[in-house]
Amino acid sequence: MADQANGPDSNGAMGGRRTTLVIHRTDFVICLIILAAALVLFYATTQFEAVADVLSQNIGPGLFPQILLVVIIALSLALPFEHLFLERGASRLDQDRSEPIRPLTLITMGLLIATVALMPLLGTVLTMAAVCIGLPTLWGERRLRVIIPFALLFPAGVTIVFSVILKVHFEPGLLGLLAD
Amino acid sequence: MEAAAQGFLLVVDPLNIALIFAGAVVGILVGALPGLSSPMAVALLLPITIALPPVPAISMLSSLYVSGTYAGSITAILINAPGAPPAAATAIDGYPMAKRGEAGRALGIATFASVVGGIFSLFVFLVATPLLAEIALKFGPQEYFALAVFALSMLASISGKSRLRNLISGAIGVLIGTVGIHLTTGVERFTFGVPELSEGISFVPVLIGLFAIGELFAQSQAVEQVYERVTSMVVKLPSRADLRRVWPTVMRSSGIGTFIGILPAEGSTIAAIIGYNEARRWSKNKEEFGTGCPEGIAGPEAANNAATGGAMVPTLALGIPGSGTTAVILAALIMHGLRPGPHLMKETPEFVFAIFGAMLIANFMFLGIGLLGAKVFSRITLVPKNLLWPMVFVFALIGSYAFSSSVFDVWIMLIAGLLGFVMMRHGFGPAPMVMGLILGKLVEESFSQSMIIYDNQWWRFFESPIVNLFFAFTVIGLFAPTIGRALKRFRTASA
Repeated sequence: MADQANGPDSNGAMGGRRTTLVIHRTDFVICLIILAAALVLFYATTQFEAVADVLSQNIGPGLFPQILLVVIIALSLALPFEHLFLERGASRLDQDRSEPIRPLTLITMGLLIATVALMPLLGTVLTMAAVCIGLPTLWGERRLRVIIPFALLFPAGVTIVFSVILKVHFEPGLLGLLAD
Repeated sequence: MEAAAQGFLLVVDPLNIALIFAGAVVGILVGALPGLSSPMAVALLLPITIALPPVPAISMLSSLYVSGTYAGSITAILINAPGAPPAAATAIDGYPMAKRGEAGRALGIATFASVVGGIFSLFVFLVATPLLAEIALKFGPQEYFALAVFALSMLASISGKSRLRNLISGAIGVLIGTVGIHLTTGVERFTFGVPELSEGISFVPVLIGLFAIGELFAQSQAVEQVYERVTSMVVKLPSRADLRRVWPTVMRSSGIGTFIGILPAEGSTIAAIIGYNEARRWSKNKEEFGTGCPEGIAGPEAANNAATGGAMVPTLALGIPGSGTTAVILAALIMHGLRPGPHLMKETPEFVFAIFGAMLIANFMFLGIGLLGAKVFSRITLVPKNLLWPMVFVFALIGSYAFSSSVFDVWIMLIAGLLGFVMMRHGFGPAPMVMGLILGKLVEESFSQSMIIYDNQWWRFFESPIVNLFFAFTVIGLFAPTIGRALKRFRTASA
């Protein structure tokens, strides 16, 4: 398999070792993931509720997704070999993924997931404020004279536009409890 | 003629003009910011426009589209970081020209070329849309299916690094579109017992997630990145000598950009690259390219803005998006209860004329805003990332929530964002997936109807000459680049 250790160089070599073999390791893994997902979904299509031919006119609900899944499977099978047909080989494909995902990105993902999970409890306005405090702080902003006005004014502006002017229902959450 | 008059009356409504102006300003701000793109901005603004009548809503989004495409050139020229992918080619000559103290001249050439390209394509749009719609009215489901397959095949070259990955991404988008109740039979598909999925996955959270949140995670990989700016001079309109020099390039690129824009799925980025290459190919001063050549700025800028008008042609006349941003505009049309496609031109021609008028006004607006305010707008890059991206997230959060006041949609947005980030890292572009998602319904419906018409005999698709033509285009589109490369290698080897 093609080596995928560190990063690509201009010759398509990964981590100093050339990609001389046919199968690109990372793309092989991606191919397996897509195949696994596609097979699970294909199985799911076989479990769709049965419909009388008169109603479905011989075009069952599973037919189109099944065709799509076959297309996806067929295309995915070519993924591990794709680098062989590209002008700059694997280096072109590996450009963006050569750097590992940084811890900050993973923490950002975690923070945003936690924020959305807490949204029903916090309510929309407090969720916005939490994002406006949490994300800048996480990304290195330390000036309170910047963070505090930002966390107050920006959610307030968004609330005026969406809730007051456009009449979008905002979940009251904790603020609603306090108001009661 | 009456429809045209009605359309212009709709567009000159004060609310509409104000929204076109707002769209132009937001478009320039977004376009000037590296990382923020016009599809992302259109997706984020989509929920706001739902509260508006269709004409002002689509006018604002169209204005944002054309202005955002132009504004990418500001940062491409001043900081060598294209604000949007279509401006990448502009940086090749724009930044060297700015570095030698001619930033104002470079911005002037870019603004002039963008406006000419944009206006040229709008007149083509005005002529081509009714013609194409007239032809498309004769299409049956089988022709529509073939057209949609052709459009999906064109996704291969939409952007990114890999044709194969674009196709997979597009197919996954179509598959996502099948989630929910099957319209013909009422059977639930891929809902896995989640009641919220039975109505399908809404476009808005997926669009916002893929375009905005995926990019947010990508930006978190380089939070500390600071752009080095060239001090911007006052923007200068091109001199007579510059005009004489770039005029043929501008006209050629306007034609190229419009044609590329009309092709389903092909957008401004490809138009700009071809515009640049052709400018170089036809130039007598090839050696100047890359060192601050005026044609090197005018070529891609005229082409990428010409693609905006071109891309609206298939979007409105066929219901097939001409680019990533028009895919989002197509979603907006559907949400406003309009039927993009030939019936739009037949039933509400004044709407199409209104969009033409809005885009025309937007071109003049960004000419004014660009000439007067490029220096100010270039300062937008000074907004720290650690404040800008939280704002984007808040808009994404509210935008995905607002449409149906559902936290479930916010989860969809976040999941789409995570998926978008992982996909982008591995070369799968978000735009093909969005276009697949939007085209999905058309593909399935036309396929099912055709199969019913043909009594399940799929080979009868080939009875229609139009279907055969589209299938031939599909095959050519898919394999021509590979065959071309193989031939080139063969010629090189034999020489």
